[in-house]
Amino acid sequence: MTAARREVPGAAPQRPAAEPPRVLPTAAYPGWEAIYADNVERIYRLMYTKVGNRHDAEDLTSQVFLTALGPLRTTASVGEVRSYLLTTARTVLASHWRSTLGHQVTVIDVDAVDLEDCTPGAEDEPAGRTAERLGAILSGLPERQRAILTLRFLRGYSIKAAAAELGVTVANAKVLQHRALRRAAGLDKEGEAS
Amino acid sequence: MKHAIDRYVDSLLRRRRPKGFAPTEDDLAVARVAIDLSAAVPDAQRPREAFVEDLRRRLIDQQESSRPTPAPPPAYRPRGRRRFLAATALTATGVAAAVATDLAVTGSGSGAATLAGGDLTADTGGWQTVAAAADLPEGTVLPFDLGSVNGFLRRESGRFQAVSGVCTHQGCRLHLDTPRDRLACPCHGATFSVAGAPLTRPHGSSPLPALPRLPVRVDGQDVQVFAPFVKE
Repeated sequence: MTAARREVPGAAPQRPAAEPPRVLPTAAYPGWEAIYADNVERIYRLMYTKVGNRHDAEDLTSQVFLTALGPLRTTASVGEVRSYLLTTARTVLASHWRSTLGHQVTVIDVDAVDLEDCTPGAEDEPAGRTAERLGAILSGLPERQRAILTLRFLRGYSIKAAAAELGVTVANAKVLQHRALRRAAGLDKEGEAS
Repeated sequence: MKHAIDRYVDSLLRRRRPKGFAPTEDDLAVARVAIDLSAAVPDAQRPREAFVEDLRRRLIDQQESSRPTPAPPPAYRPRGRRRFLAATALTATGVAAAVATDLAVTGSGSGAATLAGGDLTADTGGWQTVAAAADLPEGTVLPFDLGSVNGFLRRESGRFQAVSGVCTHQGCRLHLDTPRDRLACPCHGATFSVAGAPLTRPHGSSPLPALPRLPVRVDGQDVQVFAPFVKE
């Protein structure tokens, strides 16, 4: 079970504290609506981390539930239901990548992911794993490359606004962003980007 | 010229649905970073309430439409002589029970639905061991019969799949046509791939539905299929 919830300073709580009490993994759901209510946000969040956009995340989440809830026994335990949803999610994501980019860009490792961790209540998220993930990507980048990625992806700056902020032309900002992404992807080594 | 990967990244930044393209290895690495960064935006991962509600409605619709209907869809209803043939075929091969329960498992109405008198649902079932994983090397197809359900289990690309062993035409029991790697029906000659896809159908018949898939899992050394327990 998760530790006490951390409050992010300055972030206004967006939902009233109406979180349902945590269920033990051995408990069963009272019906499919409960399965849905408890897991829709978990699956959506998981999908979002795998595709990075709302449209695909919504489509894939829909597919998971429309596929899974038919054959699902509601008498199954919470743990069984979650692992079944997770397996379905893995298949759905794999077929999404097959039909769009033809490669498994991201995968769901059913042994590594625990839906319990994809907890609803975003308060935990930005402070926890997301920050870790971000740190892993951005650390090791030169100052300006880190700046452009932060502005563009995290603060939602347009390329124009980001260029102005950094005091470069739009064309330069584009190149900077391009190189930053390649560098973060481990493609450009130090010194190559000159 | 703008590269496709740049457009992909641009769509993510504009919160649009990115379009597919033929990526290089480098493109894939960049796409992964861009996806990770996009997902790191605070609050981006919260589903819209309208979406959650809309999907809930769709699920309600789905649940209601998938309830067993009293009358089978007209397309599969056997008539006159065909019904007689179907009945004799069934008793001759002794698979009436298998058909009835198989229908109950998959929940699809079909010609033999009238045989499914009892109230059989998958809720009364459980995982039943069909074979040891070690006995099923890659590419093998194994017929199995659990009493309530019969079918064919196969291993392909390291994964196990099972399909029902009952023809979707008139409910005869399929057999494995080994030389041709197909499932064949002795009654009217329909054939299916070992994955369950309909290949050939009887002359004059409308296209046949694919064979229903059965849930499979691997439990330790055992490969198990989810099926109703046979009632005493």
